[in-house]
Amino acid sequence: MNYQWAAEHLAFRDEVETFIHEWRTPALLREYRAREGAGGGPLLTEYYAALQQKGWMRMCWPREHGGEGQNPIYRFILVETMEYWGMPYGNLTYTSIAPTLATHGSEEQKQRYLPGIWSGEYTFAIGYSEPNAGTDLASLRTRAEKVSGGWRVQGQKIWTSLAAQSTHIWLAVRTDPDRPKHAGISLMVIETGSEGVTIRPLPTLSGLTTYETFYDNVFVPDENLIGPLHGGWEIIMHALNHERVGLSPTGNLARNYDLLVEHLMKHAAQKLQDPVLRIRLAEMKMEVQRHRALAVCNAVSIARDEMSPGLASMAKVSGSELRYRMTNLAMDLLGRAGALTEAAGELAPGGGRQESTWRASPILRFGGGTNEVQRSIIAARHLGMAR
Amino acid sequence: MELELGETRQLLRAAVRKFLEAECSFERVRECEREGRADLKLWRALCAQGYLATPFPSELGGGDGGIKDAGLLVEEVARRAALLPIVEVLASALTLHHHGAGDDATTLLQQTLSGEALPVPALLEAQDDFDRIELRAPAADGLRGEKFFVDYATAASHHLVTARDSDGELALYVVATDDAALKCEALPNLGRTPQSRVRYDGARARRISGPDGVAFLVQVARALTCAQLLACMDASLSRTVAYTNVRKQFGRPLSTFQAVQHHAADMAMHIESSRFLTYETLDALDRGVASEEQVALTKASLSRALPDVVMTGHQLHGGQGYIEENDLYFFTIRGKDRCLAWGSAEECLGIVARGVEQKARWL
Ligand SMILES: Cc1cc2nc3c(=O)[nH]c(=O)nc-3n(C[C@H](O)[C@H](O)[C@H](O)COP(=O)(O)OP(=O)(O)OC[C@H]3O[C@@H](n4cnc5c(N)ncnc54)[C@H](O)[C@@H]3O)c2cc1C
Repeated sequence: MNYQWAAEHLAFRDEVETFIHEWRTPALLREYRAREGAGGGPLLTEYYAALQQKGWMRMCWPREHGGEGQNPIYRFILVETMEYWGMPYGNLTYTSIAPTLATHGSEEQKQRYLPGIWSGEYTFAIGYSEPNAGTDLASLRTRAEKVSGGWRVQGQKIWTSLAAQSTHIWLAVRTDPDRPKHAGISLMVIETGSEGVTIRPLPTLSGLTTYETFYDNVFVPDENLIGPLHGGWEIIMHALNHERVGLSPTGNLARNYDLLVEHLMKHAAQKLQDPVLRIRLAEMKMEVQRHRALAVCNAVSIARDEMSPGLASMAKVSGSELRYRMTNLAMDLLGRAGALTEAAGELAPGGGRQESTWRASPILRFGGGTNEVQRSIIAARHLGMAR
Repeated sequence: MELELGETRQLLRAAVRKFLEAECSFERVRECEREGRADLKLWRALCAQGYLATPFPSELGGGDGGIKDAGLLVEEVARRAALLPIVEVLASALTLHHHGAGDDATTLLQQTLSGEALPVPALLEAQDDFDRIELRAPAADGLRGEKFFVDYATAASHHLVTARDSDGELALYVVATDDAALKCEALPNLGRTPQSRVRYDGARARRISGPDGVAFLVQVARALTCAQLLACMDASLSRTVAYTNVRKQFGRPLSTFQAVQHHAADMAMHIESSRFLTYETLDALDRGVASEEQVALTKASLSRALPDVVMTGHQLHGGQGYIEENDLYFFTIRGKDRCLAWGSAEECLGIVARGVEQKARWL
C-alpha cells in the first residue's frame, strides 16, 4: 500500500506541463474554441503535429496497434494535466474511434484511416443516437440494406456532434431487423459529403452546436463495414469504454477552484476575509479531493488491468455532478458578476468560466451513459445487488 | 501508487477479523453497552495476540508496520462495534514512540505494547476546542483541574493529559489512574462508549512530551478516527446490501428497485472516496508529510459523509433497522459519535478554511 506517485510519473507530468507552456497561447485557445473541438485550423494542426511527435496520444496502446505499450496510468496523467490547463488533447476521434479502429478494423482500414486521424486531416462524427434510441441505444432503427458492392442506408440520427466539421461519420446501423436487437447492428464509416446525407444544426445551451443527420438512400461501399457483419454492438461498447476514460478528470475541477480563488484574491480581497465564504471554499476543496479519490482509484484499477465497471461509473457520476455543484457555488460566491459571460469582458470572473461551465454541466450527467444507468451499474457490479 | 493492501496486511486483517468474530459476539457488545463499560477481557486477549504491537518496530516486540497498520486494526475493531480503546491507546502509543522523552515515556510504551498499561489521551476541556487548552501544568502540589470528553477514562491505567507550562507552551503529562486525586464522572453519550469528565485534585504528573507530541497526538488520533468512520459506513452498507437482496416486497427483492439501487450506489461512492482519503492520509502520516490541512480535510469529508450513509442504510432497512435486535444501530450511533470526536466536520473545515488560498490538488 503506497499512495505516492512514483518519480517517473511526476516527471512525466512535468514534461507534459513544459510542453503545454510552450504551446498554450491565447491564439491557439481561440482557434480551438472557434472550431468547436474539431481538428484543422492552422495553429491546431501545428500543435497536434507536435503532440503526435511526442507520441503521448498512443503511448499506452499495445505495440501491435502502433503504440508503446506503456501503463495506462500515463494516459491518466496526460489527461489530468491537459485538463488542468484546458488544452486540447484530441477529441473523440483520437480517444475513442482511433483505438477502436486499431482493434476492430482490417489492415486495409487502419492504413486508410489512422494516418489521416493522426495528422488531424480526418475528424469523425459519431452517429449512434437516434430520436427514439437514447439510453436504450440498441433499439436504433437506421437501416442498411445490402446491395451490390455495398449498402444503402436510410434513416435519421440525432446529436451527431461535429457532423458539419467532420470528414467521416462513424455510423451504427441495423443490418438485420429480424435478429434480437443487440445482434442486428453493424458499424460503418460514411464520408460526410456522400450523396443523400443532410445535416441540420441544433444549437445547444453550452454555445456549441450539435447536429441532426439524415440518410436518404446513402451508398456505403462494402469496404467501409467495420468488424463483422451484425457485430456492431460489441464495437460500440468498446468505443464507449474508451470514451469514458477521461470523462471525469479532476484537473479541470481543480483549475476551476484555483481560478475562482485567484479572482477573489485579485478583485474581491475583502470577500476572502469573510469566514463564511472561507468555509464554503473549504467545502469546495474537500469535494474536489473526494472526486480525486474516485478518479485515482479508477485510474489505478485500469492501470492494474482490472478495469472495474463500478469504479469507472463512480468516477463518472462524481465528476459530472460535482462540476455542476461547484460552479453553482462559485457563482453564488461571486454574486451578480458570477452570471456575466465572456462577452462582458474584464468584469466577467475568469473569462466567464463559472457561468459557461455551469451552463454546460447537464450534458456530462446524461451523456456518456446517463448517471441513472451508472448508479445501477454501481449497484449491480460493485455491490452485487440483485437485478 | 499501489492501493492494494499487499499480502502481509491482508493476512493481518484476516487474522484480526477472524479473532474478533470468534471472540466478540454482538450480544457481548450489547452487554458492555448496557453496563457502560469497556470490554477489558477482550482487550487483554487482543493484546495477548500481539496485534496491538503490529504498527511498531520489532525492537519493541512489534511487527515493523506503521500507522496504516494501526488504521487496519482500528477498522476491524470498529467493524465489530467492540467497546475497545483502540484509537485512544494506539494514538497514545504512537505519540510515545515518536515524541516521548525520558524513561517514563519509554517504560509506558513498553508496558502499553505488552498490554500491562492502557494509556488514553485527555485533551479537551469544557470548551471542546483543541486550540483552547488552558489547564495549568502541575505545580509542586500536583495537577489540578478538569478534562472533559475523555474516552475510556475509567478503563485506562494512565491518562495523557495536555497542560500549559508557565511559558504557555503545551506539553503532555502522564497521570496514573490509581492516583486517589483523580475522579471520573460518567458522560452518557449517543455512541454508548464509556466517556468521562475527569477531575485532577493534585494528581502526580510527569512530563513526557512537548508541543510537537501534542500536535502529533491530535493528528494521529484524528486520522485513526477516520478509519472508525470508514468501518462504520462500510458495515452499514454491507448490511444494507445483504438485507435488500433478500427482503421482498411486491414479489421481488428490494434491491431490484432502481430507487433502492441508487441510494446504495451513493453510499458506495461515499465509502470508496473515504477509503482512499483515509489511507492516503495515514500513508502521509507514516512518511511524516501529512499537513494539518490534509488530516482535517479527510476528517471533515468522512464526518460529513457518515450521517448520510448510515441514515440511508436505515431508510433501506425500514422498520427492521430501527429495532435494537438488529445490529445496524451500532454503526449509526458509534459512527455519529466519532464524527464529533477529534474534530467535527465544522471544526476541521475551519482548519481547511485557513488555507483556501493554496491551490487544489489534482494528481
Ligand atoms: C450536446 C450533445 C452531444 C451529443 N453527442 C453525441 C454524439 O456525438 N453521438 C451520439 O451518438 N450521441 C450523442 N449525444 C447523445 C447522448 O449520448 C444522449 O443524449 C444520451 O445517451 C441520453 O439519451 P437521450 O437524450 O435520448 O435521453 P433519454 O434516454 O430519453 O433519457 C432521459 C432521462 O431518462 C432517464 N432514463 C432513461 N432510461 C432509463 C431507465 N431505464 N432507468 C432510469 N432512468 C432512465 C435517463 O437517465 C435520463 O435522465 C449527444 C447529446 C447531446 C445533448
